[in-house]
Amino acid sequence: MGWKPYSQPLALPVAFIFFLMTHRILIIDDEDDIRQVAAMSLETVAGWDVLLASSGKQGIERASSEQPDAILLDVMMPEMDGPTTLLKLKANGSTSHIPVLLLTAKVQGPDQRKFAEMGVAATLFKPFDPLTLAKQISAALGWKEGG
Amino acid sequence: MTHKDRISPDENGQSQEQKLQSMISALWDRSRHTVVERAALLQTAGDLLAHNRLDETTQLNAVDSAHKLAGVLGTFGLPRGTDLAREAEVLFGQSMTPGKVEIERLQVLLAELTRLIDRGPLGPD
Repeated sequence: MGWKPYSQPLALPVAFIFFLMTHRILIIDDEDDIRQVAAMSLETVAGWDVLLASSGKQGIERASSEQPDAILLDVMMPEMDGPTTLLKLKANGSTSHIPVLLLTAKVQGPDQRKFAEMGVAATLFKPFDPLTLAKQISAALGWKEGG
Repeated sequence: MTHKDRISPDENGQSQEQKLQSMISALWDRSRHTVVERAALLQTAGDLLAHNRLDETTQLNAVDSAHKLAGVLGTFGLPRGTDLAREAEVLFGQSMTPGKVEIERLQVLLAELTRLIDRGPLGPD
């Protein structure tokens, strides 16, 4: 049996292209229902892979080991809040390159400025629309729609 | 896969949007007790405030619960609930001894919030 270089000419490239189009997002939020809605939204609407963490500490560990394409980070969390988690992610060489989007129910201006200075890619607001969350993330990060 | 593909009907004739709505509706049913508990905590804190008996721990818990409700209710299809919870967060966070007008406003909005949550996202908002 000899080598058959093009026995399946399309299957591998198509699978590879699909892999390239699928993003991996890490959601860090202490609220179970928010994590679940966001995960359902990104998986169902955009077809992205979603990783979950329920605390800043767990989020940093998962970000370091799983290397997601982006992180959606809640601001108000017990123990380690979003801004502290963000600073630790940015200070860690294995996670500093990962874009972080903050998710907050607060809408005050001073917070916005502070977050921007801390190096967040964007700030998204709760409540979010599950149907358009992936679009918002894509737009904020300059990704092609849904991909 | 494009966005258009994702909102097209699947083999069961259900669009991704319909599928997502069904999943969120099921999640609301599972999460409802937490939402009800948070609203009940606000109601208790409101009653204590009205009788000038609100302690600092309960006040902080009320601000936190109102904040969490504000963040989640709109996502479940209750945008009015988010508005009411935001207002409650501000009122609870302002002072341990608010004026009569603020207390009355808090009681009215908490009653409306409880009614909205009881009705759930499927009823007219």
